[in-house]
Amino acid sequence: MNAHEEDRMKQLLKQAMPPAGDAELERDRWPAMLQRLDAQPASPPWFDWALAGGLAVFAVVFPASIPVFLYYL
Amino acid sequence: MNTHPYLRAFLAGAFVPTLILPLLLLGSILIRVEFQIGPVERGLIFPMALVPSLWALWNMLWLYSHTRTHLTIGSHGAILPLLLMPCGAVLASCLGILAVGANEVVWFRSLHVSYALVAPMFLAALVAYYLAWKYVVGFLNRVLGIA
Repeated sequence: MNAHEEDRMKQLLKQAMPPAGDAELERDRWPAMLQRLDAQPASPPWFDWALAGGLAVFAVVFPASIPVFLYYL
Repeated sequence: MNTHPYLRAFLAGAFVPTLILPLLLLGSILIRVEFQIGPVERGLIFPMALVPSLWALWNMLWLYSHTRTHLTIGSHGAILPLLLMPCGAVLASCLGILAVGANEVVWFRSLHVSYALVAPMFLAALVAYYLAWKYVVGFLNRVLGIA
């Protein structure tokens, strides 16, 4: 690739990827990104499991409640 | 993703009831055809016409108010049955799918629910709404960037 072709290539690349302009971030977002990447998805607490279990037991013991629940959903 | 947060809240709120409605419709058709229980189709008016919009508006209200009230999404959702259940009961009564008796209420002319069971059912509804809002609507709000 000679110098002329190199200039032509640079020109084409510049045309294909216009400059982003003067847009700048108002703050550094990388620490927040790292924090989100490090965060583990929390497992549901025990009382939520207990509530879900109680709900399932209620539906089994009182099946007549299921259509009524569906009416409200 | 900072544009139109209330539109995204509306969509996230309406997602769950909208997803369940086709199953509900299918179930009602099967019940109607197979078991001759009626009038179940009247029972679809409330869930199809009002519940998705109320969920959506309730999620928009959470987005608007949670910075002041500091309510979690689950607690906010658990309040919704306090509004929904009386409205639904009044509409069901008007449509003839809920009959109020001396000792019990009768849903769909076939499901007899004693008054002793109404309070536990109400508590179960609060629990169901708490869990659905905390885990499903909360997840959708996070996905759509509004929580």
